[in-house]
Amino acid sequence: MLAQPPIDVVIVGGGTAGWMTAAALAKLLSQVCNVHLVESEEIGIVGVGEATLPHIRSFNERLGIDEAEFMARTRATFKLGIQFENWARIGDRYIHPFGVFGRGQGDLGFHQYWLRMLHEGHAAGHLDDYSIACTMARSGRFALPSEDPRKIASTFNYAYQFDATLFAPFLRSIAEQLGARRTEGRIVDVELDESNGNVRAVVLASGDRIAGDLFIDCSGFVSLLVGKTLAEPFQDWSKWLPCDRAVAMPCKTETAVTPYTSAIAMDAGWRWRIPLQHRTGNGYVHSSAFIDEQDAMDALVSAVEGDRLAEPRILRFKAGRLERSWVKNCVAIGLSGGFLEPLESTSIYLIQAAITALVELFPEKEIAPSDRDEFNRIVDLEYDRVRDFLILHYHATERSDTPFWDYVRTMEIPDSLSEKLDLFRRRGRVVKYREGAFLEPSWIAVYLGQRILPEGHDLRADLPRGDSLASGMEELRTEIQKIVQAMPDHLQMIAQYCPMAA
Amino acid sequence: MSSRPISSIAIAGGGIVAWSAAAAVRRRLPSIRVTVIDLPVPENALADRLGCTLPSIVDFHQDLGLRDADTVLRAGSGFRLGTRFDGWSGYRSEFVHAYGEYGQTLAGSAFHQHWLRAEHLGEAAPFDDYSTGAAIALAGHFLPSEHTRASRIANYAYGLHIQPLRYREMMRAFALHLGAEERSGPISEVILRDDGFIEALDLADGGEIRADLFIDAGGPAALVRTQLDGRREDWARHLIVDQLIISDQTRPPVDSPALDHVKALDRGWTWEASSPAHVSRGLAYSSEHLGHDQARDLIDNGEQVVLAPGRLTDPWVRNCVAIGDAAVAIEPLEWTNLHLAHSAIDRIVTMMPDVDCNPVELWDYNRQANAEADRARDFVMLHYAGPNRPEPFWRDAASRPLPTTLEHSLQQWRERGRLPFHEEETFSRDSWAAVLIGQGIFPRRIDPLLTSVPKNESARAMENLRSAIMGVVAQTSQQSAYLRNLALQESR
Repeated sequence: MLAQPPIDVVIVGGGTAGWMTAAALAKLLSQVCNVHLVESEEIGIVGVGEATLPHIRSFNERLGIDEAEFMARTRATFKLGIQFENWARIGDRYIHPFGVFGRGQGDLGFHQYWLRMLHEGHAAGHLDDYSIACTMARSGRFALPSEDPRKIASTFNYAYQFDATLFAPFLRSIAEQLGARRTEGRIVDVELDESNGNVRAVVLASGDRIAGDLFIDCSGFVSLLVGKTLAEPFQDWSKWLPCDRAVAMPCKTETAVTPYTSAIAMDAGWRWRIPLQHRTGNGYVHSSAFIDEQDAMDALVSAVEGDRLAEPRILRFKAGRLERSWVKNCVAIGLSGGFLEPLESTSIYLIQAAITALVELFPEKEIAPSDRDEFNRIVDLEYDRVRDFLILHYHATERSDTPFWDYVRTMEIPDSLSEKLDLFRRRGRVVKYREGAFLEPSWIAVYLGQRILPEGHDLRADLPRGDSLASGMEELRTEIQKIVQAMPDHLQMIAQYCPMAA
Repeated sequence: MSSRPISSIAIAGGGIVAWSAAAAVRRRLPSIRVTVIDLPVPENALADRLGCTLPSIVDFHQDLGLRDADTVLRAGSGFRLGTRFDGWSGYRSEFVHAYGEYGQTLAGSAFHQHWLRAEHLGEAAPFDDYSTGAAIALAGHFLPSEHTRASRIANYAYGLHIQPLRYREMMRAFALHLGAEERSGPISEVILRDDGFIEALDLADGGEIRADLFIDAGGPAALVRTQLDGRREDWARHLIVDQLIISDQTRPPVDSPALDHVKALDRGWTWEASSPAHVSRGLAYSSEHLGHDQARDLIDNGEQVVLAPGRLTDPWVRNCVAIGDAAVAIEPLEWTNLHLAHSAIDRIVTMMPDVDCNPVELWDYNRQANAEADRARDFVMLHYAGPNRPEPFWRDAASRPLPTTLEHSLQQWRERGRLPFHEEETFSRDSWAAVLIGQGIFPRRIDPLLTSVPKNESARAMENLRSAIMGVVAQTSQQSAYLRNLALQESR
């Protein structure tokens, strides 16, 4: 029962997904498996300037990574959320923060009290004013959250904006220290075991053959093992998420190193702005059905703030996921398993969710179908919930100024999303799930930011007296202001805590 | 706004469930007028009639602003920390399912994984030893965890053992105090509008009750709610217990244990639970395996109850929602009956729709309520999946088809002790682990993640936990002492 021979794991591809997987397996399952990663420097990695979700902190912690060192090495900045500009209407802006609105206590969401004030015609200001994360983001300040749950300064979370091309090498050094093996080489052939259809080995251009029991497909969009070799069908979601191209181009930072990512709506998609310590990442995610690549490139070049630091490059993709991520003895993690545009910075989150599931369901040499099915169930659920959340940003718009916005505004949406929307429209209720990337505050921020204003509110919000509610809210807003004013400036915080090497 | 809020609710039923709903609505949504149509409590309305409740009752009381002084001292309740299962499986003659944590996460892995490895190596103390609640109760003691250091070791929670009749009086008085109105039944007719909504309930005394929303808390027959739609999910193929004999007795106060006792018999099982001045007993069996006369030999007097396990397909249809046994009928094992009713009440308050009871709002209510009921059923059924008892009753119970959700949990557990997350779960992961382990259901493999934690490191941490728990137990004393203290504070 205990003395199983170690499993030979072969990871195909050494980008963010590959090295995250290698480091996690080498750290957590070193007695159970041998980790061997094959990558080719010729191929390169997609890694554009990456924005992340707060979940990455627990991944790093589990690997024993020192935060300041990690941030310095990847030239990272802090991220408190995403600012959306021009989404519901041109001129609109809102922040989707990592944190709650109000104090995050009691069983009735703060937004319900805010809605009541609004419905009664009181000037309660913007909901953002009652979120410490939003207030910090707007004033460009940052301090680590308090560990005392009674304090307002504990009601936010944070993630990082970092250089993904530096993250993979950083993880590589960790994984190799922990015993992961790396082979340089281009894969030219995949050998199948005819008796059961499993992958037996990959063959390199050098002629070397790397055999394994379990293969992790981190080959990127090519999806070499699961998509291509095992021919797992792809679920195409482009009717809901029509963007299929991105032009990416870094530039010098001319304005502010904001502690948040920006997502600015464009004529046929949206543009990201991700400020790092040494530069700003930019990209225009667009739909080739509504704009051609050259026009998109021109639009990006004229929109960015500083001198370009590289030529614009094009990425081509399709929204969707494989029907199953784990087929036979191959597990697709990262872009090989599915793609959702970076609108809510979910790529690394989805990688992490898949790794967590793999580690929890790590198989024996003889793979139990129940492990595989459970892995696929978990990964599908993650993808499907993120999908609905992304569609919301597009569909809940009033824009009809370009054919693209007109299309997404009027397209059919999945039932699972229209039910959620209807519920919020009525009394500001959010469908309750306890798991998934985005919980209640995220949905509230985006619904309201996209101008979905509930017609009513929860009756329980009518309980407090109007004047005491108003003064309580005013106190909260002032308290948040005061706390944030005492925090260091974002750049100052970085300079103290995690400056990159000069 | 196109619609308007609900301003009046009529509740059909006269037991704990109906009055609890009335009190909760009046307390938490005071703009709503509440009328309770007092009906006799049928003998098979288990949520109204059973003495044992889960820790969620304490939260329910807190939301209503009720204190232990009201619900324990004045209503004659006692405290309970869990259930002691006796003869349930061949693995150990006894095990305890106590509420709260068993051990603590160690080195990133759930405690039960460390325990399973130690058990495999033959080095584990009983799993019960790692539950502070179980340890306190087995010592014959009781103290709420806020008075101990348990939150830093392995926290625990308590439910109450209530005297159903006294508790119902307490809740009724409280609801009336909060402004609920009372009318006497019976109901002679349910009057429907053209659109199928309920317009009014006609009473036998000639009165008529109109309301925006009707809550059926009248027991399994759900006489009001089934006027709209009687579709039901039958659980008889999953759960074989269809007969109960229930008895309640008061007595002069004695010191009572904080664990109820559930004992497996050849052809069913019995329970005995007590608070200082009250004892409730019962027998659960299947009419296929035991005749009524033979059943009478197994328990001193008591009322016969026929049980048809199952739930309404949708508890909420148009402007009528069923709660308690009207929504879900399930055997008493693990005492989910009143818990599910409380949960429904809480959900109604939280999700109160407009007068039009929009389908999307009911859809979300029913989705949550059904998921919760199904998982409670799964947990109850889990207790029959494990025992390897040879008697026909147990063999029959164990051979029943598993619902897919339970099959999923069991299969994941049996593989490597993994307990997958389900939405709307009543019982925590540690509760599942306690019942699985208590019945001797063990995984095939040790979780590979444990290989990175040296065995002696786990063993040391486990031993420290165990002795810390014994330290907490040493600071506790008998339930009577705590009750005396409570009374003393109250009289000051």
